[in-house]
Amino acid sequence: MSSAVAERRAVISGVGQSAIGRQLDRSGFQLTLDAVLAAIADAGLTVDDVDGLAMFPGGGKANVPGYSGANLYEVQDALRIATTWKQGQVEGMSLPFYGPAQAVATGEARHVVVYRTVKEGSAARNAGGRPAYGAIHPDAEGPLAWLLPVGALSPVCQVAPYATRYMHEYGVTREQLGWIPVVQRAHAAGNPDAVYRDELTIDDYLAARMISSPICLFDCDVPVDGSTAIVVSAADTAPDLRAPVRIEAMAGVVDGRPSWEQWEDMGRVGYATAVAMWNRTDLRPGDVDVAQLYDGFTIEAVWWLEALGFCGTGEAGAFVDGGTRIALDGQLPLNTWGGQLSGGRLHAAFGHTAEAVRQLRGEAGARQVRDAEVAVVSNVGGFEAGAALLTR
Amino acid sequence: MDATVGIPPAVTEETAAFWSAAREGRLVVERCTACGAESFPPRGMCRSCRARAMAPSEITGRGRIYSYTVNYQRWLPDLEVPYAIVLVEFPDHPGVRVVGRLRGCDPEAATIGMEVEVGFEPGPGGYAIPSFVAAEA
Repeated sequence: MSSAVAERRAVISGVGQSAIGRQLDRSGFQLTLDAVLAAIADAGLTVDDVDGLAMFPGGGKANVPGYSGANLYEVQDALRIATTWKQGQVEGMSLPFYGPAQAVATGEARHVVVYRTVKEGSAARNAGGRPAYGAIHPDAEGPLAWLLPVGALSPVCQVAPYATRYMHEYGVTREQLGWIPVVQRAHAAGNPDAVYRDELTIDDYLAARMISSPICLFDCDVPVDGSTAIVVSAADTAPDLRAPVRIEAMAGVVDGRPSWEQWEDMGRVGYATAVAMWNRTDLRPGDVDVAQLYDGFTIEAVWWLEALGFCGTGEAGAFVDGGTRIALDGQLPLNTWGGQLSGGRLHAAFGHTAEAVRQLRGEAGARQVRDAEVAVVSNVGGFEAGAALLTR
Repeated sequence: MDATVGIPPAVTEETAAFWSAAREGRLVVERCTACGAESFPPRGMCRSCRARAMAPSEITGRGRIYSYTVNYQRWLPDLEVPYAIVLVEFPDHPGVRVVGRLRGCDPEAATIGMEVEVGFEPGPGGYAIPSFVAAEA
C-alpha cells in the first residue's frame, strides 16, 4: 500500500507560532515572520533550505476584516528565498499541508513553508464586536448572495441549521454536546498560549447567551491575532530534520453540494473524506491516540467524531457526555490545546496540525497525552473537508 | 413593513430573474427545458442532465422547513433580533431548497417539518428577500 500513497513521501518537519492573543499590537506581517522563522528552526533547517511557499487564503477574497494576515509575495521578499513551488491556497483547501505534501512527494520542492495569519481579534475589537460576514463589501457575491441578504450574516447562522437538524434527527442534546467546550477548556489550562484558560462548567455553558440557536457563545471559536507556520519536507530529507512526523494518510473529498445551505444531509458531514482517508491506511479508529478535530463550532467536532468512526452516527452525544472519553487520559483526547474554542481561531486546522505534531513528538508539556503515536487532524467538514493521520 | 437591515445581493446574469420575480412576490427557480428537472440556485445548467437550456419556473405551493436557526446576535447596527432563518424544501419540487426568514409566528416557534407559504419581504438595498409565512394548520 505504501508505494501508492504519495503522502508517505512527505513529512511534517516543523511547526511554529507567533504570540497568540485576543489583540496583539503587532502587524500580521511581523507575526507571520515570527511563526515562519520559528517553524524553520523547529524543523532543524535554515531559511535557505526552503524552496516552497504557500499560504491560506491565497487569492481568495477575505470576507471579514483581519482574515488574511500577510501577503505571499511580501513574505517571500522578506525571507529572500527562491522558490520552485508556490501556492496561494484558496477556498476549497482540504488541509494546510495537503498541497505542500503533494509538492514534496512529486519532487517539485524539498521544504515547503505554509502559513496562516489572522488578525480577527483586533478586527472584532475595532468593529465593536464580531463583524458580519461580508460587511466590508457593498454587496453579497457568489454563494453569499443567498445568505447575507436574508440575515444569515455570520458563519454561525450558516452552520447552526446543521446543529438543529443533527440534534433533531438523533435526539442529541446541548447538555451532552456542551462537554466538548467544557473539556477543551480544561485542556487549554495546560496550554500557556491558549486565550481562554479559566475553568468552564457545564452550567456556565448552559447559561451562556444564544448566538444563533442552538449555537451559544461557548460553541463559537474565539477570534484572535496570531500566526501559525508549518514546514512540510520530502521524507528522504529526514536525516537533516530534528523531529519529523509522518503523514500516514490524508484525504479531502467533497461528494455533496459544495454550499453551506445546500448540503443535502445536514445530519451527516465528512463521511466521504473519512472513508477515503481510512482506505489509504491499515490503521483503524482504535489506533488513534489523540484527535485534533476542527472546531470552528462545537458541531464541527461532532461531525468528525462520527464520520471518522470514533462513534456511530448520532452517538456523539453519548460519546462526549460527562467528558471522560475525550479528556487527556480518556479513550480519545480531543483538541488538547483547547481547540479553536479556547485556544483561539487560528483557522483552517493550522492550530490543530501544530498541536498534533507536538503531541506526537512528546513536546506538549502539561497537556501531553501519554505515548501518543497516532494523531488525527481534520478541517471544516462538508464542502471543505480534509482529514489526515499523522504518526511518529 | 420596514425593510430589514442587511447586505444586498450582487445580482448576476444567472440570478437576475430570481431577484426580479422576488420584487413581485414570486419564487422563481430554473426548470430544464430538456428533462424538466428544477435547479436552485440558478446556474444556467441543469443539475440533473447538464443541459444549458433553462427557463424560469415559479413555485407556488407550500414548503416544509428542513432546518432553521433563530438568530439573536446583532451583527449589524439596527439589525432587529431575534429572527428565524429557515431552509425550506418543497415536496413537489425535489432538488430545491431556499433560505429565507420566517414570519407569521414567534421565531422560537419554528420547527423542522413545519409547513410554510411562499412569501417575500422588503430587504436590504431595495431588494425583496424570501420570507416564508407560517401556514395555518
